[in-house]
Amino acid sequence: MIAFQFVTAFLMIFMGLYAFLYKRNLIKLVLALNLVDAGIHLLLISLGYRLENGLLPTAPIYTGYETLKGTPMVGPIPQALVLTSIVIGVCVLSLAMALTINAYQHYETLDVSKLRRLRG
Amino acid sequence: MNVLPWLIITPLFGAFSMPVISLLGGKFREHWVVIVSGLTLGIAAKVFYTIWKSNEILVYTLGDTNPIGNGVKFPIRIIWEVDLFGALLALTITFVSFLAILYSLEYMKHDTGLDKYYTLTLVLELGMLGIVITGDIFNFYVFLEIMSIASYALVAFRNDTWEGIEAGVKYMFVGSLASSFILLGIALLYGQYGTLTMAYLAMKIAENPTLISKVALAFLVGGLLFKSGAVPVHMWLSDAHPAAPSSISAMLSGLVIKAGGVYAIARIIFGIFNPGLHSYLKAFDMPALNLNTLGWIIIFFACLTLVIGNAMAVVQNDMKRLFAFSSVGQIGYILLGFGIGIVAYGDKIGEIALTGAVYHIVNHAVIKGLLFFIAGAVIHQVGTKNLNELSGLARRMPFTTLSFIIGAAAIIGLPPLNGFASKWLIYESSAMYNPILAVIAVIGTVFSLAAYTRVLFTFLGVESEKVKMVKEPGNAMIVPMLVLVIIILVMGILSWQISDKIMLPTAKMLEQLNGEYIMALLKFMGGG
Repeated sequence: MIAFQFVTAFLMIFMGLYAFLYKRNLIKLVLALNLVDAGIHLLLISLGYRLENGLLPTAPIYTGYETLKGTPMVGPIPQALVLTSIVIGVCVLSLAMALTINAYQHYETLDVSKLRRLRG
Repeated sequence: MNVLPWLIITPLFGAFSMPVISLLGGKFREHWVVIVSGLTLGIAAKVFYTIWKSNEILVYTLGDTNPIGNGVKFPIRIIWEVDLFGALLALTITFVSFLAILYSLEYMKHDTGLDKYYTLTLVLELGMLGIVITGDIFNFYVFLEIMSIASYALVAFRNDTWEGIEAGVKYMFVGSLASSFILLGIALLYGQYGTLTMAYLAMKIAENPTLISKVALAFLVGGLLFKSGAVPVHMWLSDAHPAAPSSISAMLSGLVIKAGGVYAIARIIFGIFNPGLHSYLKAFDMPALNLNTLGWIIIFFACLTLVIGNAMAVVQNDMKRLFAFSSVGQIGYILLGFGIGIVAYGDKIGEIALTGAVYHIVNHAVIKGLLFFIAGAVIHQVGTKNLNELSGLARRMPFTTLSFIIGAAAIIGLPPLNGFASKWLIYESSAMYNPILAVIAVIGTVFSLAAYTRVLFTFLGVESEKVKMVKEPGNAMIVPMLVLVIIILVMGILSWQISDKIMLPTAKMLEQLNGEYIMALLKFMGGG
């Protein structure tokens, strides 16, 4: 059986892809990109989740104490990856919004299908 | 002392000290950027020489001497793993970037915001350098994004024109989607195998090749084909490369689509999903991936790319757009070489094809750099890139025209210039593997010949009104062009020696018949 969170993650990715392919508004496209990214982040985070002996996992902070309690820790690497990826996502988001503002100033529209002056 | 980390530290420090240096004035900024990129070139040359001399893969662990974690038996730290292919690309990247920066000193003189421009250029350079030296797949993604974000910003650098903004928007959305696919592929690989180190991932995949690894490979190669501008998805390239400032176009066309595109494809296929390893497993009836299918898919896209890219170049009226389509076509040749290298793996033919592909990456970086510098010189002096208005430029700009003749002859592949040797190796291997592929490759070259002849006739034609008062550009633009012309001529004369001494060992190291890429890591794990 496929875990519930994987289904959600792929649903988010496909929702993002759908919006990317069928929406015209530039701001919606930016949101679509972020939705795809968020889906991937959810996938990565859920890869690190562990449920052992019915005990809920704890945060991956090594203090030497948690091993005594016997509770599992979530994988630390996916969290590091997602943190990095979120930072990258913020850069892309801000640059995309800056370009959107510039595009609006030059074309006075946010419709991406009107950005078609480059031809030939 | 290991110089490898300085390859990243130098441009990174140079980039982010740029705003402070700019406070001292424009002259300081120019000296600083030339010094920093020159120093990076020196470091890359040192790294290349070290690896070429010893013919061994260099492994560097970030923050430690050993990639293996305490108390565990597998690598947990980020490693950089540089083989000759990566080092050769690092040398090419730093060389062309150095010349592009030198060229921008005059070309960008009339623009504002130059501290941001030079910061972004150095960040772009360091992103590409990171891609070619890394041995960790998530680290690869981070550097890929550093490179991509810098190149989106540079394409839209002249934000007072609609051209740059439109191209930037298109490039940004397509590129970000491709990056997301690559990240998804990496996430799937991590979920299945629990490691990010490329060499260890290769071992894990060979132990247990699952459907997930195939899906991940499809996402990675698909995303990277987007980024390299292969044909069904090349539309962003023909918009983005002409709209950028010419010095940046030279870096984008010459380097970015190689480092973030074809290099990464080759590294992922030969480093992580090694065809030799899997055919070996198959010989013992073990579960293995069949990479021949992937090889044929890449050959199919390569043929499509090299015919359509070159054919589209013929009908362009915009000089830079013509060069950009020609870049698409040349990417097709490189992909064809890699595709034949995969399907004929372990064979003499595969080795020739890989040699040709690696050689063509370097040659195309040099030649396309020169051609975009020429386009920039024409735009800078005449103020237009429309071929219909540029008739008769030869008499007013003789040096530029001469450089163009040499560059065009080299990219078409006429002997005795450097493009001939690499294209010949690709034709030879494709003719030996399947003559139909060779025919397709030659058709691409015919289109390319037509496109460049058209530009040449424009330059040599009757003088038009626009070019009556035109002069040659200044020295800061002439010198980089002259250096590239000399490099093309020298590489052309010594082409077969270079092929034997540098390109063949590089192709062998990329092909890694004995699994050298994995062995370099196994040395640390013991029992290798």
